Amino acid sequence: MFYREAGQFRTSYAADQQLFPIRQDRLALLALLALAFVGVPLAANDYWFTAILIPFLVFALAALGLNILTGYAGQLSLGSAAFMAVGAVAAYNFELRVPGLPLLASFILAGACAALVGVAFGLPSLRIKGFYLAVATLAAQFFIPWLLVKVGWFSNYSSSGVITAQPMEILGYVFDTPAEKYLLVLTVVALLALAAKNMVRSAVGRAWMAVRDMDVAAEVIGIPIMRTKLTAFAVSSFYCGVAGALYAYAYVGTVQPEDLNLDLSFRILFMVIIGGVGSILGSFLGAAFITLLPIYLEVLLTFLAHEFNLNLAPGTTSMVQLLVFGALIVFFLIVEPLGLARLWQIAKEKLRLWPFPH
Amino acid sequence: MSAQPPAGEALLAVDDISLSFGGVRALADVSFDVRQGEIRAIIGPNGAGKSSMLNVINGVYHPQQGTVRFRGETRRRVDPHRAAANGIARTFQNIALFKGMSVLDNIMTGRNLKMRATLFEQAIYVGRNRREELAHRAKVEEIIDFLQIEHIRKTPVGRLPYGLQKRVELARALAAEPTLLLLDEPMAGMNVEEKQDMCRFVLDVNEEFGTTIVLIEHDMGVVMDISERIVVLDYGRKIADGSPEEVRANPAVIDAYLGVAH
Amino acid sequence: MQFFFEVLIGGLLAGVMYSLVALGFVLIFKASGVFNFAQGAMVFFAALVFVTLQEKLAAPFWLAFALTLAVMVLVGILTERVVLRPLVNQPPISLFMATIGLAFFIEGAAQLVQLWAFRDISPRPLALGFQDAPFDWLLGEFNMMVSRFDAFAALVAGALVAALAVFFNKTRVGRALRAVADDHQAALSVGIPLKYIWAIVWSVAGFVALVAGLMWGARSGVQFALTLVALKALPVLILGGFESIAGAIVGGLIIGAAEKLAEVYLGPHVGGGIEGWFAYVLALLFLLVRPEGLFGEKHIDRV
Repeated sequence: MFYREAGQFRTSYAADQQLFPIRQDRLALLALLALAFVGVPLAANDYWFTAILIPFLVFALAALGLNILTGYAGQLSLGSAAFMAVGAVAAYNFELRVPGLPLLASFILAGACAALVGVAFGLPSLRIKGFYLAVATLAAQFFIPWLLVKVGWFSNYSSSGVITAQPMEILGYVFDTPAEKYLLVLTVVALLALAAKNMVRSAVGRAWMAVRDMDVAAEVIGIPIMRTKLTAFAVSSFYCGVAGALYAYAYVGTVQPEDLNLDLSFRILFMVIIGGVGSILGSFLGAAFITLLPIYLEVLLTFLAHEFNLNLAPGTTSMVQLLVFGALIVFFLIVEPLGLARLWQIAKEKLRLWPFPH
Repeated sequence: MSAQPPAGEALLAVDDISLSFGGVRALADVSFDVRQGEIRAIIGPNGAGKSSMLNVINGVYHPQQGTVRFRGETRRRVDPHRAAANGIARTFQNIALFKGMSVLDNIMTGRNLKMRATLFEQAIYVGRNRREELAHRAKVEEIIDFLQIEHIRKTPVGRLPYGLQKRVELARALAAEPTLLLLDEPMAGMNVEEKQDMCRFVLDVNEEFGTTIVLIEHDMGVVMDISERIVVLDYGRKIADGSPEEVRANPAVIDAYLGVAH
Repeated sequence: MQFFFEVLIGGLLAGVMYSLVALGFVLIFKASGVFNFAQGAMVFFAALVFVTLQEKLAAPFWLAFALTLAVMVLVGILTERVVLRPLVNQPPISLFMATIGLAFFIEGAAQLVQLWAFRDISPRPLALGFQDAPFDWLLGEFNMMVSRFDAFAALVAGALVAALAVFFNKTRVGRALRAVADDHQAALSVGIPLKYIWAIVWSVAGFVALVAGLMWGARSGVQFALTLVALKALPVLILGGFESIAGAIVGGLIIGAAEKLAEVYLGPHVGGGIEGWFAYVLALLFLLVRPEGLFGEKHIDRV
């Protein structure tokens, strides 16, 4: 009833190529943007910003990066957190050592550094595939944080080992309240998401998917395999690098490469799998899911413990979290390998027909 | 860039091609040429090395011996990417479409070589990339029109029936506007109507665009009808080369198909 | 000089421990083509169940062993039924990711058991009767410290490998397993019952996981860190080839020795901590040179 395309004709290829060809989708997007940029800052409290919204956005960006590499280009990576670490440390060093460098320039340069490292560790992908490549990315995940911590120059020879990120300042305006940080992160993430969507529907995105689906055929029609794979690593690592910089500056406030570890890489992979491989929207859905799930589980378990008078040992929640994550991964891979994004698509298709069943 | 030979001259020539995999001899001393603008068929019993021959021509396999001469350039090892850039396109025996993409996107990948927008321009999209995308989309739509697959252009390729997938693969090959088109069993698994359609498309491509076509095909009716010259392979060797009438009457060819030991 | 040998032998023996875990991977990969990322979690789980039975229920060694083995077999069969069979037509990467999910599930389950049984997650000691003390005569004669426990582990691993080699090559069941690994359709067409085979494969893998769990648990206590050992098995497999039992042993030895030597000789120059990544970087370099591993087979793709 509401979601009808009837009467909306696309009379040019340009109209057909639009990001949101259906009018209802455009309206929904505007509403979402209004909510995100205006509604939320007015309504949410500090806890929501610092504990939920900002990490959601930061991880969504990292998931977006991994989705480009694994979901679109088909190169499995278990090292996304390592590239985040590069971004965080690089941003810190740029801010520290280049006086007067604008904050956003630091972030972009940090992303570029991560991209370079990503390409270096992506070179093996030219010879190996599948889970062999996953092992290569594991090497990155273990080596990079070790290097970032060991080489004192990166942390400015800090003796305490804790590096505090500098305050975020653009043109003299300091972003220090949670709401301000949220808006900054939101803007960066929204722009990068748009860029990702654009790349994915252009030649490079098609090249990525071709390499993912059948690289022999891709080569035969003239797609440069090496360049395509390395571009995927570069773009993906750029996104993870910027996510890492945001993680350090807008989320935790410190630069600690050891925290950006294998566990986080797995989490980001789970966001991509559950949210939907090969889907920009999926990265956001997956990030939201994985960010909110621990909170929900905590609430649920506390409630159950009260109700049934269970004496749960401390740390139970994180164990249950592992259990639930694992089960969900398997569940999604079996039932809906294309994740929440596909479920969303199916829902929209049903909505088109509503209230009719078919 | 090398010059385009005039119609009638050899566009492609393979000389003394020998190809082995480990101990298995796929091709032995095969030589033949393909003239500009003609439709050339490669036929032979199963396992004769026909697909391997196509793979050598566009660089998927590298022969141990022999050379491939295309548009005046002679090479032993052809790089598939360069072959594509030089104007060779092909279809595969087992459909090699990108199952995760729609028909339109699959065909658009055939145009990737012609797109010039940089990564940054693609990320911004508006401006040069948008213009390019629309221009190439228009070209691709012409091919979609030509092959009559408008109604499925947004369908994910994996959901299409076999016959339509073959047509989409042909469309993707045509999108590159190739000089030489290699078709590996384009009619395999099709019923009579689908074969008639496919024959018509192949002939139209040859007549309208002047594309030189090399095709592997098992259906003798089709081969005799549409090809101008035929190469016959058996156990990796060339046993006949000539017009359909010559090949049909050749005793060696008849023996090969009847399975007479030699 | 003898310090070098000491480190080398220590490394080789540590490598044997890696091999034990790698064997489990190889078994499952050989028989079903699935890379079971959850093998490490299974090692941890097996060790934990054993220790729980031993301590909480005061079960004697053989009973605890038998019961744990039964549990592992059950876990294996359930895994095959619930996780792998529904995904049988998916690309290998999906199966791999499913085993990652499975790994997390088993890890979570194992730790919950640990919390329930022992109320904390500190390492549980596991006594097998061999101390981590040096051989006295070696110490006396050559002034070298070689741990008794490590030697025992090497013996166990050797025995296990020999048993598995015999099993795969000489028995009917072993032959059937190899047939299934090669080509499911062909195996079916000669009458090999696939479902039976899967059950056997996972049971054997469970047994191997249990042995590995006992050895590792005795060496460093039963704790969550055991699952990280599984990750170390990956470089072992890359060196040795994913389908070779001999490769798992040789790969393990090389990785163990190389890691220890690097830590001792290179470590001081770069501030230590090399053991965390050396094995992976070594595997990465190896992948670039010889992707199929020392004992693996080259794949030829038909177009």
